[in-house]
Amino acid sequence: MNRSRLPQGSTAALVLILGSILASLVGAGLQLLANTQLLVPSLDRLIPMAWFNYGRLAPASQFLLSYGWLGSGLLGVLLILAPRFSGIAFRYGRLLFGGALLWQLAILSGFTQILLEGSSGLIGMPQPRFVSILLILSFLVLGTGLTRGLGRSWKSGPLLPRLYLLLALLAFPLGLGSAEALLRGTVTPGSVQIITQLLWHSFHQHLWLAPLGIALIFQLLPTLTGRAATSLNLGLLAWIATALFGGWLGTVRASDGPIPSWMQSTGVVASILMAFVAIGNGLLVQNLTEGRWEEIRRTVALRFLSVGAWSYAATYILLAFLSLPWVRPVMVFTVAWPALFEVFHFLFLGCVLAGSVYALLPVGREMGWPNSSALTWHFWCTTLGAAAAASGLLLAGSFQGLALSDAGVPTSTLASYLRPFLFVVIFAQFFWLVGQIAFASVLIASLLRLFPTAAPMAVFRNPTVIRPASIGHLHG
Amino acid sequence: MKPTRALAIAFGALLLTWVAQAAVGYLQVGRLEPVLNEETNLTVPPVPSGLAHTGARVFASQGCLECHSLSARGPKDSADLTRGWGQRRSVARDYLFRDPAMLGTARIGPDLSNIGARMPEGDKLMQHLYDPRLLKKNSTCPTHPWLFVKKPAGPKAEPDALQVSPDGWHQLLPSYHAKALVAYLQSLNANYALPEAPLK
Ligand code: HEC
Repeated sequence: MNRSRLPQGSTAALVLILGSILASLVGAGLQLLANTQLLVPSLDRLIPMAWFNYGRLAPASQFLLSYGWLGSGLLGVLLILAPRFSGIAFRYGRLLFGGALLWQLAILSGFTQILLEGSSGLIGMPQPRFVSILLILSFLVLGTGLTRGLGRSWKSGPLLPRLYLLLALLAFPLGLGSAEALLRGTVTPGSVQIITQLLWHSFHQHLWLAPLGIALIFQLLPTLTGRAATSLNLGLLAWIATALFGGWLGTVRASDGPIPSWMQSTGVVASILMAFVAIGNGLLVQNLTEGRWEEIRRTVALRFLSVGAWSYAATYILLAFLSLPWVRPVMVFTVAWPALFEVFHFLFLGCVLAGSVYALLPVGREMGWPNSSALTWHFWCTTLGAAAAASGLLLAGSFQGLALSDAGVPTSTLASYLRPFLFVVIFAQFFWLVGQIAFASVLIASLLRLFPTAAPMAVFRNPTVIRPASIGHLHG
Repeated sequence: MKPTRALAIAFGALLLTWVAQAAVGYLQVGRLEPVLNEETNLTVPPVPSGLAHTGARVFASQGCLECHSLSARGPKDSADLTRGWGQRRSVARDYLFRDPAMLGTARIGPDLSNIGARMPEGDKLMQHLYDPRLLKKNSTCPTHPWLFVKKPAGPKAEPDALQVSPDGWHQLLPSYHAKALVAYLQSLNANYALPEAPLK
């Protein structure tokens, strides 16, 4: 292959995507190990080392999954996509490549620091300060590149994806920069520190990661189904509402406690409104995909993106439920929240990312996807695994919450309420990991052109069609 | 929509969010001051010692926060207070001198916002850190043996050695980090009333 024919920025995108897959495998593996320790607490006596402790594994895996897997991967696919918004090709491909390498360096050093030296204890920001600075520096390069892709005039080309991308590109540096400055740059009173941590948590999840995912959904679904979003006004309203309310959602993580109560109430209202926003966007997605079930079943990218889009709506409906005034005080310190993040990260963003890699990686690159059964493994293991893990955690959280709010339940037995469900969660997370390994192997083999036949559009092998006759046969 | 208008809306929304939470939050709870406790003639919440301050960082870096919250919730008859996790709810003023200020988001184990009142003895806390099962047979709190130095026991025990020995002929000496962490845990004790949060 002639390297000089690859579009500028394409190597940077590849670095980000490969880094993302590696981070997902290591991050999910360590998450599995951490949860196994909750199930078998004596495991830490086996390897009495600080880095093997739940208190280290849990934040290290969370950092890898949100900054490494999702952050890196979404930036990578957007680097391929953004020039197509405006038709303006990237220049300075080397600079972008440097930015992508710097992001990987930040992830690697953040991960090793958390594992060896420990988390900072700040919500959403477990990494040490220099890692945040590396992330912001790298983002300045990658984000500037992406901003160019948005184009100066938006008269032609898609609007909604650009709006969400713009929102995310503003939220990341503003949020992380000011949170770093307030939390570790100056002497901020402790009570304000907690507000700031939750504020960055909201920016990170709902104004950075989620809009990146939504931008990809609104760009790729119409391209793949050949339809245009029907109601632009609804889409615009949903975007403005996301920008206004997204930053408030973190305050519901505190219940009573040191956060002013009006902020908590605003967070509750914002969470409930965001469910309506997600339903509004869901209606747009419904119009894009309606009647296209055959393509969704056949095309790998489309199927992942559709599951991602539905999980986006599910995330915010679940968030609204957990924020309801009579649910929140019971569930606030339970594993119902990790359940929400399982849906948010693994089903919404993870599926959107996988679908985007399938759809976009071959762009400008002479590569394609094989018609391999590994694609089927990837789809079913990751989606069923994540859904089962989320359900297990949600059930566990409900029992844990009820036990926590009943003073008659002895403190020392609190953790035992989680145990039966942890079996399911660990098995499900293992299942997810198997699916992701299938994905990684298809990806590497496709990049290395190990398959004799490959097509730019990945399709599932013989999607099983349940014919009425076979159903009759089952019942007969 | 024009790009400039989109930029203005997005930037405005983000700025509004920041100002409403961080700036108004600062005005509302950032300027709180310690209050004078009439009984003791000392101000509360107390300023933590340097050692306890270091201990907060050890607490964070050992990941205790992954399983323990640092916030007791009211009202008087709430499950938290009935369990003895505090004599009153935690309020913003309690976090005034904390750095990093930690709230916690998980309760795999009990809340520790008043552990200094529940387990005041330094040696007990040390033993719990080394191996929680020394105090409670079935505890599922993890061990932290790397916070201790194992030395052969001499003819007389060193003053700060733990009262337990792993094998009879070794003694366990707490590292600086262990001492700091224990000082921090002991400092977590809201046994005084605040104007906005009377004792139960
Ligand atoms: C894997 C989760 C986990 C981690 C991490 C963890 N703990 Fe625990 N901790 C527990 C559980 C569960 C209990 C309750 C079991 C028991 O009764 O000992 C507990 C109990 C305690 C208690 C006794 C509380 C009481 O009221 O009796 C203290 C003190 C404590 N932990 C301190 C710590 C410190 C300090 C750290 C960090 C160095 C830490 N824990 C890390 C799970 C954890």
